[in-house]
Amino acid sequence: MHPTTLPRHELAGLHVEVVESRNADLVGIAGDVVDETMQTLVVAGASGSKQVPKAAATFRFRLGGGEAQCASERASGRGPRAERVIVDGERLVARPARRTETTTPNKWR
Amino acid sequence: MAASIPEERVERLHDLAREAAREGADDRARSYVRRARRVAERHRLGLPTRFKRFTCDDCDAYLVPGRNARVRTQDGAVVVTCDCGTHARYPYD
Repeated sequence: MHPTTLPRHELAGLHVEVVESRNADLVGIAGDVVDETMQTLVVAGASGSKQVPKAAATFRFRLGGGEAQCASERASGRGPRAERVIVDGERLVARPARRTETTTPNKWR
Repeated sequence: MAASIPEERVERLHDLAREAAREGADDRARSYVRRARRVAERHRLGLPTRFKRFTCDDCDAYLVPGRNARVRTQDGAVVVTCDCGTHARYPYD
């Protein structure tokens, strides 16, 4: 997984934080993504899991270094080499399996 | 660039499903398995052998032998029985 491919990749298992939103209550929600629907992400944080609408928020994902495997990726995600990727939630609005298919350019920041 | 995004995605979902099943989050594991199947279907990919052998064809559960699956070795085949009652058989070799 690479920052450019993140919007088309599996989000479950990644650490995410809501950095910006029209709804002030959503800002600051952080935790691991556990599930995804077409319009929302389910984020399991310290205070239980929250369902965050994708369209209303900007997310910051944390990526481990390189092409690490899932478990080690999570371990290294906490390390200093972790990359942070900021994605506008609008780009993620699609059914989970459908998201990988989009061929439009990735306009991640 | 070895694996395509959908291939990587199926692989990751497999790992996530295994972890979730080991933690006892069976429904979460099931949703990962379903999504992996759906991604593979949409991209016309085959599923990895390990994935096929550790998931239930019928209820999409991720199988952990001894916890939600029984494994018996029989004449010519291994038989894996899911808690839902579905048998899966695969040959030795």
